[in-house]
Amino acid sequence: MSARGASVIPPNIGDYMSALLGVFSLVLFFLMIEALVQTGVINRFIIPAPSEVIGSFWRVIREENVLGRFLLTASECLTAGVMLTVFGIAGGVLMHRFKLLQQACETWVAAMASAPIVLMYPLFLVIFGRSAWTIIMMGFIAALPPVILKTIEGISSTRKVLVNVGRSFNLTATQQFWKILFPAALPTIFVGLRLGLIFALINIVGVEFLINFGGLGQLINELAERYDLAGTYAAICFVILVSIVFFMALEKAERWLRPVE
Amino acid sequence: MTQDPAATLRIGPVGLLRVAIMLVLLTVWELLAHSGWLYRDVVPSLLAISRALLDLLSGRDYYFHLGVTAAEILAALGIGGFCGMIVGIALGANPFLSNAFESLLYYLGPTPKIIFFPIMIMWFGVGPESKVALGTLSCFFPVALSVAAGMRGIDRVLIRVGNSFRANSWQMVTKIYLPAMRHPIINGVRLGLGVALIGTLLAETKLSNKGIGFLIINAYSTFDMPRMYANLIVLFVLAIGANALVGRFGGLHTIKRL
Amino acid sequence: MSITSPTSANDAILVADDIGVRFETNEGPVIAVDDVSFKVRPGEFLSVIGPSGCGKSTLFNVIGGLLSHHQGVVTVAGETISGPHKSIGMVFQEESTFPWRTVVDNVAFPLELIGMPKAKRIEKARHFIKMVGLDGFENRYPGELSGGMRQRVSLARTLASEPKILLMDEPFAALDEQTRLLLGDKVLQIQQELKQTTLLITHNITEAVQMSDRILVMTYRPGKVKRIVDIDLARPRTSEIVTSEPFGRYVAKIWADLREEASRGMKDEESQALHHQGPSS
Repeated sequence: MSARGASVIPPNIGDYMSALLGVFSLVLFFLMIEALVQTGVINRFIIPAPSEVIGSFWRVIREENVLGRFLLTASECLTAGVMLTVFGIAGGVLMHRFKLLQQACETWVAAMASAPIVLMYPLFLVIFGRSAWTIIMMGFIAALPPVILKTIEGISSTRKVLVNVGRSFNLTATQQFWKILFPAALPTIFVGLRLGLIFALINIVGVEFLINFGGLGQLINELAERYDLAGTYAAICFVILVSIVFFMALEKAERWLRPVE
Repeated sequence: MTQDPAATLRIGPVGLLRVAIMLVLLTVWELLAHSGWLYRDVVPSLLAISRALLDLLSGRDYYFHLGVTAAEILAALGIGGFCGMIVGIALGANPFLSNAFESLLYYLGPTPKIIFFPIMIMWFGVGPESKVALGTLSCFFPVALSVAAGMRGIDRVLIRVGNSFRANSWQMVTKIYLPAMRHPIINGVRLGLGVALIGTLLAETKLSNKGIGFLIINAYSTFDMPRMYANLIVLFVLAIGANALVGRFGGLHTIKRL
Repeated sequence: MSITSPTSANDAILVADDIGVRFETNEGPVIAVDDVSFKVRPGEFLSVIGPSGCGKSTLFNVIGGLLSHHQGVVTVAGETISGPHKSIGMVFQEESTFPWRTVVDNVAFPLELIGMPKAKRIEKARHFIKMVGLDGFENRYPGELSGGMRQRVSLARTLASEPKILLMDEPFAALDEQTRLLLGDKVLQIQQELKQTTLLITHNITEAVQMSDRILVMTYRPGKVKRIVDIDLARPRTSEIVTSEPFGRYVAKIWADLREEASRGMKDEESQALHHQGPSS
């Protein structure tokens, strides 16, 4: 079929219009809620007025030391992230190196990826106490499987021709690995790291909420227990914002680190 | 490792390695349990755990709680999955809508939904409804995103075939869109099942008096560690099994993809 | 049995009148098809041939009713086409069998859409499966068949809807020459048996001359009708005819026209690539 498009609207305006629609719908949605709460149709003790929520943003930031909490959550993520990188990639490399190990354990790791690891948090509480380490370890363990699996996948799927190039230069196994297999696998490994970091973040904030300790997750829990409804919604918005920014930053980093697709 | 036992038992080297690893882990566990290094009962003996497992599975209570949780998860998957599919189809079919709204789903997706639980309690009370609500919220996103991507991945010519035979919208959806998307749909459902499971169970651990999550946190609060381990073991086996089942079910649907 | 030129519009089952199609692209408006008019008589086999870029696939979409944004009018048995019409059956160039349905379920698809009861539609589907020579394969999946067999399934599926006009867009383009010739035989056989009015879009001269009563040669973009050639070869025809002298003469004649258009096309594409200074999208 012809590659020429038959668009009636020039591409640029179409994109703007749809983005506008998205934003407009959101705004309209919140205005509707506002109206319904103000007129009493919606109980303001169940859903606070959006204006109230926005109003409490600043209060929450000031009073609850949001910056400090954010840094705490971020540092937990960072620690888990470093552990993930080291152990996840090492684990994947080991499993690739020892084929027998891979054959034996890969399905186990894949099964762990679908298991609700985060539900072991009471166990981790007992082992590590009510501390940041419980949170970090939970994030780390829950996020480990995708990193390992993607590392194995990346190394295994190096194009055969590249491997043959290495062999034609008589590279030793170690050289082969560091000069060819590993660099070729990096894009896929990064995909695994990104997945892992996302899992880690989700689990970290989740566990903070559940054990009522830590940074942003704990903030939500606390505000909810105090029945500060507007504050709870504000804190949730804040966490969503942080997760969005984090996610976007990861995408940018990935695009920067991975040259051409 | 001797060759003969392997040959006579017909376990390959892979199987042997797995057995060996399991044995090593279990031995280390048992040693830790008896060593007294860790605080009492953090690592209970295998015997204690086995006994607790037996108690758990032979009592009638467990199955009641299992039923509650299973019902919650199925309801969450049903509602969330259905809504996700509708939204996914709408977004996938219409690039304009997709540009407007899909990034919203994409960025909201990775947020931990458990943080919405206090709101769910406000709206739905402390009973199973709030757990179902949280599970629904959790699994909506992966299903919607998978289905939207699946819609866009449908071979265009198949749509033209449907149009050339003048299929109406309902026929297009049931006879062309859905079957053509069976792989992304199954994958979306697997993902959705996973997160619905987590969401529902975590909600149960937070505030509930029924369900598997409740049993786990209950065991924890009475420091009955063997019972907690038993619960976790059964839960993991069931979760992994359910995931494998959905995957297998999806696989059976296709005979050799083109 | 030679075919003479149509004497009046009443004889024609398909009339294309002054078809024009214009596309808006990033480089400005492009006229794909301009002032194309022709008539097709019942039972006739008409091929439309032209170089790449002559708009023949666009024409295919217009007649099939999949492209409504056009100038001019297409009528089938007096009715104007404004969308896919029940009298027109389309066979696409690409792989178009449903991979999740067996062969018989694929072929029965159009009958399923109109609500025919299961037993009846299976029976009908089997009839057409046999017609394309695939009996025995009813319960296989397309994934288990070769490319040529899959195209036969697509053909059977379209035939099952019993259209007045069969409209095909380069259905054998992806197949090798030998398979193509043999399948061409099959299509001819079926067309003679059903007295099926057929409109074939192709770029393959041999194929066109082998199968057609008339050939419409198109120019390069903007696609206009360059010439209509009557093919006066005896029917029934088989693939053996491709080595005969009259056949060769027709091919040479058409190639002379096509070559001019194809060269224009090549030069045009080269100059476009030159001006874009980089890989063209």
